[in-house]
Amino acid sequence: MRDLKYLTYFENLLQEANNELIDQAKKDGKICVAYVCENTPEPLMNLGNAFGVRLFAPNTGSMDVATYYMTSLLCETTRALLERAIEGGYNFADCVIAPDGCTMMNRCVENMELLRTMGEGNDSFFHEYMEIPLKADENGVNLLVLQCKNHILKPLHEKYGIDISDASIRKAVEEHNEVCRIIREIGDMRKERKPRITGYEFHVLTLATYVAPKYLLIDKLRETLEELKTRKPDDTEYRARVAVVGSEVDDIGFIKVIEDTGAYVCADRFCFGSLPGRDVIELNDEEDALTQLCRSYVYRGQCPRVMNMEKVYGRKAYVNDIAKEYGADGIIYEQIKFCDPWAYEKTVGSVMLRDDYGYPVLSVDRPYNISSSVGQMRTRVQAFVESIEIKRLQGGAK
Amino acid sequence: MKKAETVYNSKKRKGDKQLGVLFNGGKVRRRREWRGLKDTLYDFGRWLYLWGIMADASVSRGFVQGMFRYRWMANYLAVPHMLDKFTMGMRDEPLRITHTAMDFVVKDVAQCIKNSLRGDRRTGKDKAYSDTCVLTDENAMTAFMMGFPMLNAILREVPCMFSANLLNQYSAMHYLDVAQEHGIPGDVCPMPEAEAGMSIDDDFPVLGKIAVQVNTTCDGSLMGNGLIAKRLEREYGIKTFQLVAPMRHKEEDVQEYAAQDIKNAIAFIEENMGVKWDWKAYFECAKRVNQTTRDRWEWLQINSTNYPQFIGSVFSLYNDTNYMGNCGRSAAFPPINEKIMKLVHQGYERKTMMAPEYRHRCIVWGVQPQYVIDMLYWMVNCWGVVPLTDMLSMVIDKEIAEEDTPENREQAYYDMAYLNENMIMRNRTHGGYKVLVDELWELCERMNADMVMMWEHMSCKALTGMHGQFEEQARERGIHLVWVCHDLCDPRVYTRQAIRDQFNEYMRTVMREEPLDPSIEVQPDDNAW
Repeated sequence: MRDLKYLTYFENLLQEANNELIDQAKKDGKICVAYVCENTPEPLMNLGNAFGVRLFAPNTGSMDVATYYMTSLLCETTRALLERAIEGGYNFADCVIAPDGCTMMNRCVENMELLRTMGEGNDSFFHEYMEIPLKADENGVNLLVLQCKNHILKPLHEKYGIDISDASIRKAVEEHNEVCRIIREIGDMRKERKPRITGYEFHVLTLATYVAPKYLLIDKLRETLEELKTRKPDDTEYRARVAVVGSEVDDIGFIKVIEDTGAYVCADRFCFGSLPGRDVIELNDEEDALTQLCRSYVYRGQCPRVMNMEKVYGRKAYVNDIAKEYGADGIIYEQIKFCDPWAYEKTVGSVMLRDDYGYPVLSVDRPYNISSSVGQMRTRVQAFVESIEIKRLQGGAK
Repeated sequence: MKKAETVYNSKKRKGDKQLGVLFNGGKVRRRREWRGLKDTLYDFGRWLYLWGIMADASVSRGFVQGMFRYRWMANYLAVPHMLDKFTMGMRDEPLRITHTAMDFVVKDVAQCIKNSLRGDRRTGKDKAYSDTCVLTDENAMTAFMMGFPMLNAILREVPCMFSANLLNQYSAMHYLDVAQEHGIPGDVCPMPEAEAGMSIDDDFPVLGKIAVQVNTTCDGSLMGNGLIAKRLEREYGIKTFQLVAPMRHKEEDVQEYAAQDIKNAIAFIEENMGVKWDWKAYFECAKRVNQTTRDRWEWLQINSTNYPQFIGSVFSLYNDTNYMGNCGRSAAFPPINEKIMKLVHQGYERKTMMAPEYRHRCIVWGVQPQYVIDMLYWMVNCWGVVPLTDMLSMVIDKEIAEEDTPENREQAYYDMAYLNENMIMRNRTHGGYKVLVDELWELCERMNADMVMMWEHMSCKALTGMHGQFEEQARERGIHLVWVCHDLCDPRVYTRQAIRDQFNEYMRTVMREEPLDPSIEVQPDDNAW
């Protein structure tokens, strides 16, 4: 296929945490709200003069200092983030909002706070920790509303004078939805037998929407969507279509490794992916925007830490649904090494998707930066793809 | 650096002075410890009493079938040896305190085994009894059962996994292997992993009409519960309820959420068990919980003096059984507390010590394997380091409403939530760094400690995530911080001696001290029960 006009531009945005759009937004006088977990209602960090940026640590190499603080057994994402913070890589942030979601991410941000890695010279800088509902129910919605008020809205208003009115939230949700609609429309192209966009390209676009100010990104996203509408797909068939499910994939190289084996990543059900992260949030006029927003996050979320059994079963059903919708031949369950929630979810999910839903499943753990184990990962994915092909040749089930 | 004042024992220890003579590398010791005539007779009497408890359990319904059906059952043959681990070198009051507390813990676990097998669908097959049972987690604070005296809370993971591991350090290995064959990685906490493995292996007794699970200690526990609940619901038709204990449990703005979920859990039990919550029973339990809290604080107060009495693994095990498994529901605990209290006061007044000298006053922190090893008593005997208290014992610190009034009935949901949130371990490992790190230093001040023995459970991410902070802050405060790494119930990663060696190394190289009893510096008990 012909290269996308802005692919290199989007790829470059993912080369460092402090990308050029963040720089530009800061020059525009905007307030940067850094966050670390998908369970934080994203539009609240884009209210008024604020813009939300998800912390990530591209091109991570050594994590020695973070390993001293958190030992080698904590998940690499958290160590990579702490290392980057210690290096001064997040000095653009005006505050950090961290849900006490997974324990390790919480510890990571606590270390950032105790080591005073950010906020030098900014008296208004703050760290906030939120409780995140552990069950998808109305009690959880009430909790999230209160937590958002106390740990996002109140400090943003008090420290930076951000407009936190209902109208402001509705406006932020609408802007958020515009990005979601574009990403969803592009993502839907992955359902085609001969898709006009690769899984890798799609992941680059999606990830960019989390780590750069949306208002500076939207024009190029719109243009890319238009470009894709007329893009001519390659004539070759992919060897297998796979859905990737699991921990956050901050390293775009991971999707590339999978696709280099001849597979096609048709669905992205991982933390900070598009499913369900880029679902449009529908608001009505009967209820306040904050409650509706929180309800949407509580019920649509696919975080493995949500423990009521409807959700435990529902997460696997969701993977089945997207696998069907996007025409996946198999599922790749992946986890960042040492991630407890995804370690269990991957295991139960792999068994259920195979036994209850009949999919071939590959279950892998991986480092934060895939470059340290490209060979192993490629071998495993290749074997998986071949096994799917063999089954297909033998006329077996999925 | 801080230095505690050395306290010398004015009384000469009766009987064995070099405890190393007891170990010969076998499963059981060479012989029983000689403690002088009176204490040896007392100790032997309690040893026989333990066999009596076991004999009583063995004639209960389903016991023999259970012995053949469940792999974990055979571990209970090692009960008397477990007690010996916790009484090494003890004489006088501490010996009696330990036996009084532990005998009751053993009795409580034996009752749990009897109950589990009685209702078990495969062995005891008492369906009527089973229908009165609510399964709960090993680490659950059973506060939500305080108003259901007509029902039985069965913490089935206690006898199958937790206690079995106290008796035989290798008991969890098979289940860990099963879990890892199933696909769970080896780097998660082995405790919930072994429980998940037991469920995968279908080696839990199956009983109860419903189950209430709690996101107990950590992400691993929370996630393992899902796997266990799947089997309970889908294979055995046992409906499960997941009760939330918020992570940031110190914050005011999570309490309503927690209290509401307690209400939801109670409603779930009422609806599925066809019973009504009994407020009278609840407030009776609340009184007992408060009494336990007051007693524990008094014991801790005495431990902050030069003559601590109730210490070590048994201190935390007793608290664990009393608070969590029991949570005021049993009227049998307060008299045991009274007996212990009397002995503690007596020992304090007589300045009874457990070693010839106390050189260091130590807080034991972190997630501990201390039940499968005699570490805390070994520290006193080998190095004169007194473990004043441990992280697992630093749980509830306020009293709950205990009078039955309309206002207190509403308050009760918040109190149950408070108890639930403050389950052992998770009340420290979660809730922000203040409860784990800052409060440790406050405790050191309060108890006049100069040393912290830090159990570094390598798979406990909540704890190891603060590794560097502990190290730097201990240095700033001049507190000796001894890291002792382990992998909880997987002795293949760290053997008992590998655990002790870390302490030995610190005492010799950093403190430059010689052991009080060199015969146990290396103790050949890796094969022992």
